[in-house]
Amino acid sequence: MRGYHDIGGKAAGPIEKIELPWQHWEKQVEAIRNLLGDATRRVLSLDELRLGFESFGEDKYLRYSFYRRRLEAMIDTLEKKGLITRDEVMQALEQVRANWQDLEACAAPTAER
Amino acid sequence: MSRAPLLPVRFQVGDAVEVLDLGKAGHVRTPHYVRHKRGEILQFCGYFLNPEALSVGDVSGPPVPLYRVRFRMKDLWPEEVRSEQDVLCIEIYDHWLTPATHPLPEDTP
Repeated sequence: MRGYHDIGGKAAGPIEKIELPWQHWEKQVEAIRNLLGDATRRVLSLDELRLGFESFGEDKYLRYSFYRRRLEAMIDTLEKKGLITRDEVMQALEQVRANWQDLEACAAPTAER
Repeated sequence: MSRAPLLPVRFQVGDAVEVLDLGKAGHVRTPHYVRHKRGEILQFCGYFLNPEALSVGDVSGPPVPLYRVRFRMKDLWPEEVRSEQDVLCIEIYDHWLTPATHPLPEDTP
């Protein structure tokens, strides 16, 4: 049995090396994961997170970036534990997005209000 | 709460071991490319909770011995040309290992 993530040793051909900047949201994903997994909270361990993205399907795994995989697996696992729902996350995201658009409008004096 | 008893350290440094293929689904940390391969115990790393259990939220133990195991690259990828000196060292949990039934070819007198 070989998991779709278990690619070590597979022929890959030439590997293009690209320097990717570490995005702010990626740092936030890592920070949240660290807080959820710390010794006092123990809400979500790294192994639980890994099981999450190793079992959410190869399609997603190949489509998503490293931190997006972790984010999606985190949401899945927290939902499975009954702590949050994906809908709640999406609603919160919509709210943040709406606030952000308001800010953009404020910052641009020529924008139509 | 009483702790689960420690499992025995079955292997010593220098022991020839073979990696099992336990056919487990879920989160395992023994990569496919070392399964059924033979290597040598390089170091005992200590006791750690089994990640396979941790991945499903089971922290009850028992802690499992973890070893650093050395493989010859030419044993892992025999179809490729490798230097005799090239080795790969990775950590493997006790339950994935079994004593090698006979020594590695180079160890045969």
